[in-house]
Amino acid sequence: MDVSQYLEIFIDETKEHLQNLNTSILELEQDPGNMDTVNEIFRAAHSLKGMAGTMGYKRMQTLTHDMENVFSEVRNGSIKVNAEVIDVLFQILDALDEYLNNIQSSADEGTNDNENLIKALNAFLDGKNDVREVSASAVVTDTNKKTADDRDKWKDMQFNESQIHVLQEATAKNMNVIGLTVYVQESCILKAARAFLVYKTLEDMGEIIISNPSAQDIEDEKFDFDFSIIMVSEAGADKAIAAAKSVSEIEEVVGGLVDIKAYETDEKTNDIQVKEASYVQENNTNAAVKTETAKTPENKKKPVVNRTVRVDIEKLDDLMNLVSELIIAKNSLVSATTAKANSSDNGAVNEQIEYLESVTTNLHESVMKVRMVPIETVVNKFPRMIRDLQKKLGKRMELYMSGEDTELDRTVVDEIGDPLMHLLRNSADHGIEEDENLRIQRGKPVVGSIHLDAYQDGNNVVIEVRDDGNGIDVEKVKEKAIERGTITEEQAAVMTDKEIINLLFLPSFSTAKTISDVSGRGVGLDVVRSKIESLSGEVEVKSTLGVGSVWTIRLPLTLAIIQSLMVVIGGEKYAIPLGMIQTLESIAPSDVKFVQQKEVIHLRGSVIPIVRLSEVLGCTSTKNADEEMIAVIVKKGDKMAGLIIDELIGQQEIVIKSLGKYINKSKIISGATILGDGEVALIVDPNALI
Amino acid sequence: MDELKVLSEVVQYIKVEMGDETFGIDISYVDNILRMQRITRVPNTPDYIKGVINLRGEIVPIMNLRLKMGLEEVEETKATRIIIVKMDQIGKLGFIVDCVKEVISLEEEQMESIIHDSKDETTHFVNAVGKVGDSIISLLDLNTVVLDKAVREDNA
Repeated sequence: MDVSQYLEIFIDETKEHLQNLNTSILELEQDPGNMDTVNEIFRAAHSLKGMAGTMGYKRMQTLTHDMENVFSEVRNGSIKVNAEVIDVLFQILDALDEYLNNIQSSADEGTNDNENLIKALNAFLDGKNDVREVSASAVVTDTNKKTADDRDKWKDMQFNESQIHVLQEATAKNMNVIGLTVYVQESCILKAARAFLVYKTLEDMGEIIISNPSAQDIEDEKFDFDFSIIMVSEAGADKAIAAAKSVSEIEEVVGGLVDIKAYETDEKTNDIQVKEASYVQENNTNAAVKTETAKTPENKKKPVVNRTVRVDIEKLDDLMNLVSELIIAKNSLVSATTAKANSSDNGAVNEQIEYLESVTTNLHESVMKVRMVPIETVVNKFPRMIRDLQKKLGKRMELYMSGEDTELDRTVVDEIGDPLMHLLRNSADHGIEEDENLRIQRGKPVVGSIHLDAYQDGNNVVIEVRDDGNGIDVEKVKEKAIERGTITEEQAAVMTDKEIINLLFLPSFSTAKTISDVSGRGVGLDVVRSKIESLSGEVEVKSTLGVGSVWTIRLPLTLAIIQSLMVVIGGEKYAIPLGMIQTLESIAPSDVKFVQQKEVIHLRGSVIPIVRLSEVLGCTSTKNADEEMIAVIVKKGDKMAGLIIDELIGQQEIVIKSLGKYINKSKIISGATILGDGEVALIVDPNALI
Repeated sequence: MDELKVLSEVVQYIKVEMGDETFGIDISYVDNILRMQRITRVPNTPDYIKGVINLRGEIVPIMNLRLKMGLEEVEETKATRIIIVKMDQIGKLGFIVDCVKEVISLEEEQMESIIHDSKDETTHFVNAVGKVGDSIISLLDLNTVVLDKAVREDNA
């Protein structure tokens, strides 16, 4: 059967499952006894197996199958999770990831059988048998029995009071209460359709009281390969089983009569397990031993699935563009009516326009929110990466993350992974000291710590990568820069530490003495910076030798529509992003002082350089030299500057448009926007002026 | 077959005038012809870049073809037009021209390539001349006009 149409969903879901597995296995490493985690892993492995099987990826299926087997034994307590197991599991995840990559690029899983991994898994399983025989000789190793218990899932179903009541009434009328568990063949593609047919067949015979998963979930295909049903019917259990089996692509049906009387004593408790009073058709021989099997966690602990729709990002982009157009149209309507503001009876129109404004603003916010994804999707892979680096570099370190739920525009999140990874690798490789004694000498814990913190700060999102390692050796950077001819010795003598550290962001600058495969290939920080700047963000570093470094990435929440301050300079309109503006100040020309031939002002205890925008932008200020000046105080990191403008227009929501490739060379202008009257106004990027 | 052959040899040009000279712009590049409108100046750009305009929500850079070709800038008149062309590498771009005359079709035998005189800036952008009756039309090589900028910057 053609399954190519499901390929995309398969890839997406497999990625999710792999990420879950990664996280869970890391958790398991920390806390090997946690059964919840084991169950979580088991579930993810099981779903992966099912999906790979359906899609016909045999190698992937085999590998996940064996992994699932190991976990099923871990769950039974016959295999202990140790470092060796964890290592193999991670290798399996890598192998699965490789399969997935192959599938993604060529729709084929590749030819790597990963036999060594399968062997390793089987070795665990063999090892288990020894343990088992010694410790629990009573346990029969007969797998048939196990499947028999597992397969009668209907016995684990729970009823509430009203359902019990219905069942009791039915028995009173001499009807049979039948429990069934139906297994759909794993190769079946339209599981939901088959399930529906079973449902329909059974409904012809009687009434279905309860099903697990619920009828709705079954219809939505939210079940693995089995579902259980409790029904009342005049017919016997055999007939019901036979009827269900008559549907094609049904692998197996097990079931029996439910003894409803067993509940009468317990009636008050809402949660009751079905006690068996039945036989198993398939496995008669093993049916003798029946204890209350542990409730299968699959049935109970399934996390609530969010009601979500997958949408192509392009459709969202289209939607965003339309919202942009709408905002432009709204702005022009606003300016058209303000032009006529003096004419009478404009009240009703103004009211409606205000209403329109609030609707477009809300619409914009909603569309933005739809495009927002938590950075979790990107940072989730980092704990695993740090763990691997630990082994590779032979240093002990721990990654602490916070604010994974911080949300950013989807396009930004997609791009931010690499720069973050680079900074983390940097911290692990260059930051954390190689020599543990040195750490002790410096009074730091032996195990190095790296922090990744994300939080929202006004219209920005800040991501910090912090380590308590060696810090940046300014002298070493200086030496290197002189040696490379980046700066001269004279220049170096007058440069501040901060300026020297900033040299690290220049292309081809790596201070690592040896080139390792972790970092230090000389391509790096400049790429980090250019990537972040291309996202209209900024990156900064603060470092103290011997204490550690902090890398701070600051990103705008949205890229397409921003709040800005509209100003007039030399008769031309410009927009300044509101996110960067601290305050507006009125300054008397006499307050302007000179420091190193540069104009500065003294503002509430700090000295701030001023930039006359009219000069930078090459136009003539309309103001006289002795008039009061308006300064827009902008802030970048901890640096500030006062931008001198001629006139203020006001705050406005603007849609950012690119100037195009042809004249995109100007650093001061970050883009353009279309005003209400159709005129184009340029957006000044204060980053380039500080 | 014959018909196809004929078609492939005919190229349509938009005939524009600048000063005394007539130029032809390959119609396959032309997206739109606009009347003169307000242009927003962009700082720190060469003088032949007049700025940007809003073309139905899209920001399009505008170049003054006179300045680009080393001619005198003239006051705009009612006949002044902006020809928007669409190029593969850089997207849309507008040229200010004195006036737009008509669309002409040139067959291959009416066109003659010319050898560049490197000292003369105006002929630098012309790769051929077309003959229609008595008049001669300089056919603009748009790629050179547009990409010339990058070349100059690299040399600087």
